[in-house]
Amino acid sequence: MKILFILLTTLFAEANIQYAEGNYAEAAATYEQILEDIPSTGAANLQYSDLSTDYAVIYYNLGNAYFKQGELAQSILAYERALRLKPSMKDAKHNLLFAQAQIIDNIEDTQSFFLSNWLKAVRNALSQRTWTALSISLFILALVGFFFFAFSRTIWLRKTAFYLSLVALIISIGACANAGSLYKRDTQRAEAIITQGVVNAKASPDRSGTELFTIHEGTKVKITETIGDWCCIHVGNNIGWMQLAHLERI
Amino acid sequence: MKKILLILLICSTALTAFAQDVEFKASAPAQVIVGNPFQLSYSVNQRAKDLRAPEFTDFDYLAGPYTSQSSSTSFVNGKRTSSFTITYTYTLMANKEGTYTIPPATIKVDGTQHTSNGVRITVLPPDQPSSASANKTSTTSQQRTSSNTSTNNVSEENIFMRTIVSKTKVCEQEAILLTYKLYFAGVDVAQLTNNTRLPEFKGFLKQDIELGDIQTELEHYNGRNYQVAVLYRTLLFPQRSGDIVIDAAQFEALLRVQNRAQVRSIFDDFFNSYTTVTKPLTAPSVTIHVSSLPVGKPKDFYGGVGQFSINSNISSTDLQANEAVTLTLTIQGSGNMKLLKTPAIDWPEGFEVYDPKVTNNFKTTTLGVSGTKTIEYLAIPRAGGIYTIPAVSFAYFDPQTDAYKTLSTPEYTLRITRPTGEDANATVVNNFVQKEDIQQLGTDIRYIHSDIQYPIANIRSFSIAFGSFTFWLCYLIPTLLAALLFVIFRKQIKENADITRVRYKKANKVAKRRLKVAEQLLKADNKTAFIEEIERAAWTYLSDRLSIPTAQLNKENIAQILATKGVSNSIIHEVLHVLSTAEFARYAPTSDHAMQDIYNDTTKIINQLENEKL
Repeated sequence: MKILFILLTTLFAEANIQYAEGNYAEAAATYEQILEDIPSTGAANLQYSDLSTDYAVIYYNLGNAYFKQGELAQSILAYERALRLKPSMKDAKHNLLFAQAQIIDNIEDTQSFFLSNWLKAVRNALSQRTWTALSISLFILALVGFFFFAFSRTIWLRKTAFYLSLVALIISIGACANAGSLYKRDTQRAEAIITQGVVNAKASPDRSGTELFTIHEGTKVKITETIGDWCCIHVGNNIGWMQLAHLERI
Repeated sequence: MKKILLILLICSTALTAFAQDVEFKASAPAQVIVGNPFQLSYSVNQRAKDLRAPEFTDFDYLAGPYTSQSSSTSFVNGKRTSSFTITYTYTLMANKEGTYTIPPATIKVDGTQHTSNGVRITVLPPDQPSSASANKTSTTSQQRTSSNTSTNNVSEENIFMRTIVSKTKVCEQEAILLTYKLYFAGVDVAQLTNNTRLPEFKGFLKQDIELGDIQTELEHYNGRNYQVAVLYRTLLFPQRSGDIVIDAAQFEALLRVQNRAQVRSIFDDFFNSYTTVTKPLTAPSVTIHVSSLPVGKPKDFYGGVGQFSINSNISSTDLQANEAVTLTLTIQGSGNMKLLKTPAIDWPEGFEVYDPKVTNNFKTTTLGVSGTKTIEYLAIPRAGGIYTIPAVSFAYFDPQTDAYKTLSTPEYTLRITRPTGEDANATVVNNFVQKEDIQQLGTDIRYIHSDIQYPIANIRSFSIAFGSFTFWLCYLIPTLLAALLFVIFRKQIKENADITRVRYKKANKVAKRRLKVAEQLLKADNKTAFIEEIERAAWTYLSDRLSIPTAQLNKENIAQILATKGVSNSIIHEVLHVLSTAEFARYAPTSDHAMQDIYNDTTKIINQLENEKL
């Protein structure tokens, strides 16, 4: 196992050199090779919770290599994955915004409420494991506070302990909810990136369905339902069907 | 050397002459009349021998074969061409009407046997007596009015026109063959004038059929044999339903008529004198019943009526963006090919589509218009990805089965790779321009990270996955621990509370015991010990009775707690008084009487407090 990881480190260094020399296609292939050799990174059954946050770097570099080749959709996908592993990665955030600025579709979700956007941003600021750890530690803190409240004879101590414990419990529940939401996001993998250059969404999961709207590569959509090799996607305020081959789950 | 070359040359020319194809043909009129002799001839273009004619079972053999030979040589631009023909002629006569085939004959040319073609002969019945008599009457009348030239001879029976349509009941767009035929017998048609008026064929699309030189045939019609010439032939495609009338057509022929009336001398008779007569001819009008196409036209009906087949072909399925792809659609068949609309292809989004190029290759025959229509669709994909060109379905109406039929081409899947190099950047820039509300975030992406935890290992710092067993334990264990601790603490508190109660209950007894000891000490005149005992009795009683730990015991506390427990002020005052008197007595020498008072006051206050509900 250890030998494998040393080998991967060598490959990583090699890919970085290929990138530096401008051989972006080769570099991308090498990064993909590394990811293929690591368990739980296959695109079909990507398990974020099994992966070390260190791997975010590989995805980030892969995203760069694809971006330099003009593979916008693939680079966005890689940046998104890097941020899934390590939400605090500033460079990945920057490059993702940069890549997203170059896609054609300008999706604006007018239906979503500002508060839900804000909550989502808070949720995405930390990783699932961080939220989990935070929730557990705050829960323990709340318990300790409760003890102080229950058994202390000093009034100010009891008061402080009560409020502290209450706040800790509320935050713990919130953190747990965030962790659960992220867990759901990472296991369901409902979000996807359009990989096809241009694709028409249909009104029904059928090639002859009425064409509802056109979307372009790199756009992030949400898959809500799958029938055969068709899926129902939500993007902005639009809902339509398209073939699974035209997009890839994050 | 030169000689050899010359010999070779001669030999080669001889060989070419020798190698000339042998043509052995049989020819006979296509139509003959019963009782009329006709000639069957076999011609061969080489010297030949041993002609073996077939048995003429269906015909009477009259004479033959007569052999005739002809040869010709010509020089054209220095090239010598020579032809040689031997013709063997038989004279036969038909005795039964019907259609017969004379089987091939064989002949030997330089030892090899050659076979001629077979000949198909239609034998027509002889003119029927009724029409013949009619003819005769006309001749008699002719004789009677011989001075009247011979216009009577040019009667409607001897020369007329017919309009022949292949069908009178058709559906829309179904082809009809219309033929104008000239029938004549016993008159001499010199030529046709240009004074022809064809109908307008309103409601039809017309497709003329080339006729070439006008040739006559024999045809038996209404019991008489006529020379028949086709003057005009066209295919008509009805464009609307209903009864459509095709108006009469006007033709004009010049007839040569012998002027028998003016025969005066032997010379005139010898040099037959003729006059040319202009004869207007009218082909009658016809009515065509056109039924409309049945309802329920398929969506992809492009107006085709007939029999069709469709074929498609794509230039390439794996290509780079910005490379052109051509889809060729070939419609083959017969029917109203000219009126076929170009089927539309539903190109996927992201393809730049150009107008299709249509090439028609039609052949018009008496059976209809047939051929191929080739449509080339050109498109240029502008973005990468996997695209599907949907199947093109082509529906047509088949008048034979009276139903719509649908054909379709296969579906094509195109794999288009992204353009590389300069093109790619160009596209990106292009996209950049198209987008609105863009926010310039930087000039480029940030560089890759080359630092990674060495070696890359999937070892996580201690963390708990959401939903895992450990995750739930992390909540469960502290909760259980807390519950356990809570129970323990509560028990402890309860136990402590019990001690206080015991002390509370025993407070009076303890106090009484101490007071008894104090009384004895007072009698023994041990004042210091007495005061100590009294103080201890009072303080301990208060401590036990009020559940105040000894450490927090002072006069203020006592007063406060007593007040909160609803003890009257006078009693509180007395309690404090007793406590301060005892304290005072400890340090200042006091009389025995005062000692007795302290004892009495203490006893009294304890009794009073005992009655209070504390």
